[in-house]
Amino acid sequence: MTSLLVNSFKKLCLTSISRSTRVYSTGNSPTVHVSHNLSVVQKGWKILPQYTKPREVWIENLDTIDENKLGLFQLHPLVFAASPRIDIIHRNVIWQRKVRWVSWAHTKTRAEVRGGGRKPWPQKGLGRARHGSIRSPLWRGGGIAHGPRSGKTHFFMLPFHVRIHGLTSTLSAKLAQDDLHIVKDLELPTNEPEYLLDLIEKRNWGPSVLIVDENDVVPRNIAVATDSIQHINIMPVYGLNVYSMLKHDTLILTLSAAERIEERILNHLHSIDSNKSTAFKLDQV
Amino acid sequence: MGSRQIAEKSLSILRSLPRISLGNIRDNPGSKITQKRGRGQHGGDKHGAGNKGGGQRQNYMRLGYETGNNPFYLRVPHENYYKGHHHRRQYPPLSLKELQLTIDKNRVDITKPIDIASLVRSGVYNFNPDQKHYGINLTDEGADIFQAKLNIEVQWASEEVIAAIEKNGGVITTAYYDPHSLFLLKNPKKFFETGQAIPRRMIPPSDAIEYYTNPETRGYLADPEQISQARLKLAQKYGYQLNNIQNDSIYNMLCERKDPRQIFFGLEPGWVINLKDECILKPKDEKLLSFYAI
Repeated sequence: MTSLLVNSFKKLCLTSISRSTRVYSTGNSPTVHVSHNLSVVQKGWKILPQYTKPREVWIENLDTIDENKLGLFQLHPLVFAASPRIDIIHRNVIWQRKVRWVSWAHTKTRAEVRGGGRKPWPQKGLGRARHGSIRSPLWRGGGIAHGPRSGKTHFFMLPFHVRIHGLTSTLSAKLAQDDLHIVKDLELPTNEPEYLLDLIEKRNWGPSVLIVDENDVVPRNIAVATDSIQHINIMPVYGLNVYSMLKHDTLILTLSAAERIEERILNHLHSIDSNKSTAFKLDQV
Repeated sequence: MGSRQIAEKSLSILRSLPRISLGNIRDNPGSKITQKRGRGQHGGDKHGAGNKGGGQRQNYMRLGYETGNNPFYLRVPHENYYKGHHHRRQYPPLSLKELQLTIDKNRVDITKPIDIASLVRSGVYNFNPDQKHYGINLTDEGADIFQAKLNIEVQWASEEVIAAIEKNGGVITTAYYDPHSLFLLKNPKKFFETGQAIPRRMIPPSDAIEYYTNPETRGYLADPEQISQARLKLAQKYGYQLNNIQNDSIYNMLCERKDPRQIFFGLEPGWVINLKDECILKPKDEKLLSFYAI
């Protein structure tokens, strides 16, 4: 009952905001409107949200330890408020573990174990069990029957759209659990690792943090500061994956990274490219 | 997302649950069935293979063998309907209904001439030139609801289809492409990336020449004069008023045809398409020019 009340109150708040400030712009580049010292970034999405409202998140800063809210940022509900399918997330994680896993476990068969060419004792007349080789799998020190053989690949390909929905499910779950934050950029005033650790401590971001930027070139200060900290990692948008998002407690996206992720995923969700839905073939590259 | 707001509800539930991490996710229960060899009453005993003989040892007789009888497949006289079917040309169908749906969904641009390349690109049509597929057979399903006015080039069309298109003021051509040209049309980008010059389209094989020179099938090698006569004749047969193309506002588009040696609209044989620098390299050498001359 209380949750219903809370929800209805939230909806009321959302509608009141939307009436006053939120208007979709038609251009592709986001425009920043400043009202009451607060900027609301309005997005020119190619595919507008139809049944759900855009999610709004604070744009935060990294240049002070204390949090400054620089504005509001809209996230597309198809990407950041999709149904959080735990099973799809799980399938993605299993796939990421297996896709690069080559098992090097190896055992010797009876043919490969040294010796055992001679019949240990005659077939008949001794009252003992019949044996032809001392390296038979029945023997201690013998070969292993059906043991692991090295170089076994566990490679398989998850269907394209399961991979896409894995990303949307994980991003949505992270946002719903307040583990996703949007920052304006990655500019730090110093390259001290302590600064970053203090910032994360102060803002109650989980000990491990994954920072995602649009490109693979980041400002020098943050690169130096995170270099010595094992549990704070930086990743470009093209490397974003379900496993890393789950491995880190908190996910930090820059504005441009969030836009890029939205653009790519929306594109894939709405494209009619039939090649993507076909099964993966090893020689398709 | 329906009225039940499943995503919204599950996201609001997630807010009060522990953080999703690598350690607390799982697949749906029962989604993975592992095959087990049952014992006892759970499918044990002979494991369904029966007792003794071929059934137990699973060395079944070869297919069609009737333990010494003259088998059925040899008893019946042989009538070779399908002799050489794997050598025949095949035309995977595309119906007028599907074409109309594609146009209504704005997946293909009818302000330009439509050919097999644009239909493959739209995603509604797929074919495999290596499996003796020689292009589109436009079929008459949905001929009565077809309304688009277009300039289309297909590889096979029946009289009803031609009538349905010309009734709306459109133009249809049937054109032959050799398999190599069809590979190019199916995936032009892949070919352009190889950096080769666009080849010439080959002429049809001897048994296809009749179809593609026939004005009644709107063959691309037919005499244009005879085609206009055939258009008039078909209009009289099916009882519709033929559109006068000359007075049409899109006259230029409707008149656009490929040369019999040309594969792509707007690109001539001998040209090299450089995708990296986004330019076209045209041959200048006399020998090349005479070889690729249209």
